[in-house]
Amino acid sequence: MGHDDYKEMIPAHALSALDASDERALNEHLATCAECRRDVAEWEATAASLALSVKPMEPSPRVRERILTQIRSDKSVSNVVPFPGAQRNLWNSLGSLGSIAAIILFAALIISVVALWQQNRSLRQQNEFYQLLTEPGSRVAELAGTAEATSATAKLAYNKNGRAILIANGLPRAPQGKQYQLWFIVGNKPPLPGKSFSPDDTGSSTTQDQVPETARNSAVFAVTLEPAGGVNSPTGAIYLRGEL
Amino acid sequence: MRPEQAQNNDIELLNAIVARDEGALADLYDRYRIILFGLLMRILSNREEAEDVLQEVFLQVWRRAADFDENRGRPFTWLVTMARSRGIDRLRSLAARERVAIAGARDEAEAISDAASDAFRSEQRGLITNALDQLPDEQKRPLMLAYFDGLTQSEIAARLGAPLGTVKTRMRTGMMKLRELLAGKDASFGF
Repeated sequence: MGHDDYKEMIPAHALSALDASDERALNEHLATCAECRRDVAEWEATAASLALSVKPMEPSPRVRERILTQIRSDKSVSNVVPFPGAQRNLWNSLGSLGSIAAIILFAALIISVVALWQQNRSLRQQNEFYQLLTEPGSRVAELAGTAEATSATAKLAYNKNGRAILIANGLPRAPQGKQYQLWFIVGNKPPLPGKSFSPDDTGSSTTQDQVPETARNSAVFAVTLEPAGGVNSPTGAIYLRGEL
Repeated sequence: MRPEQAQNNDIELLNAIVARDEGALADLYDRYRIILFGLLMRILSNREEAEDVLQEVFLQVWRRAADFDENRGRPFTWLVTMARSRGIDRLRSLAARERVAIAGARDEAEAISDAASDAFRSEQRGLITNALDQLPDEQKRPLMLAYFDGLTQSEIAARLGAPLGTVKTRMRTGMMKLRELLAGKDASFGF
């Protein structure tokens, strides 16, 4: 296939409509052809204009709240300083035993709902992992534990659009104020930050992320221990590492 | 607001997001939420799923704003491409287990009226729908099936019962015509 053949494939590439073998061949060509890379940007703009043909719709105000809450918790998890509570009189407390019982029951209910939700979410994410594996053009990278965690292992599966799921096992519990963070390393460029995650009590974690476009064909994937909420450049030890 | 001005504002917002300014993310969300949510509803036909993906998109913007490269395109294109890609991924992951259920319970979320969005956006919508109306159906359908349903060229050929080579030609011709029709109005799509 020659340059002109690849050039003709770019409009379909901008619509993500190429079949896996064509997509792979075009990506190899794009790595070496600046003219075609410029074409991709132009055709992507044409494809994006199709979004304007759709009727605009208003999402629930809850979405905005959820986004802002999430980013605030990302920023503040490691900075929270407990506020000293006022001393309470024991006799006053006894007067509110009924309230205490109600609070305990409510807390137990919340804990069981959260546990069920987490269980359900974990099952759903594992199903999505296997679903990803069956998609044409999907890839899997195996990550092995380093000296920091010799028994840790992980698999990172992602599809041609970069949608990824990381399943990690055997990781030590992260210390207070710390989380593990995924990294994408391409050549000698600075590592690109991925999501932060905390394994459960068994050292397992299932995390969804997005592999940056530049890291989809060839990259090193690593997991380090970082301040909770994640950082923009790695600072901690590497616990898992693998490459494509 | 005119397109160039809007685009510069978007780039400023993305730079502020890189500097961890959550107000900038809120502003970007306010600016694009109804377009992106409309797109995600068109792809997923389910309000809960579309809202969940919209949330993921803006969390991704928060974490990956530094990846935006203005030499490779406009912020609008970057956001729409990201939202569409995540929407299609979600559609595929739902397909195996829930497509039937979703199809049976299409969420008739209310589209906001054109009057409720600003006039500039309505004008853009008019331009793109006029351009699409000028494409023959045999060229328009493959584009729609690819963009909103996430089908590959082989899947489109099977869906339409047309030879793969024919689908490839129609898709390419349709995209080229669409680009020509929008070319004179390109600045209007700057956002």
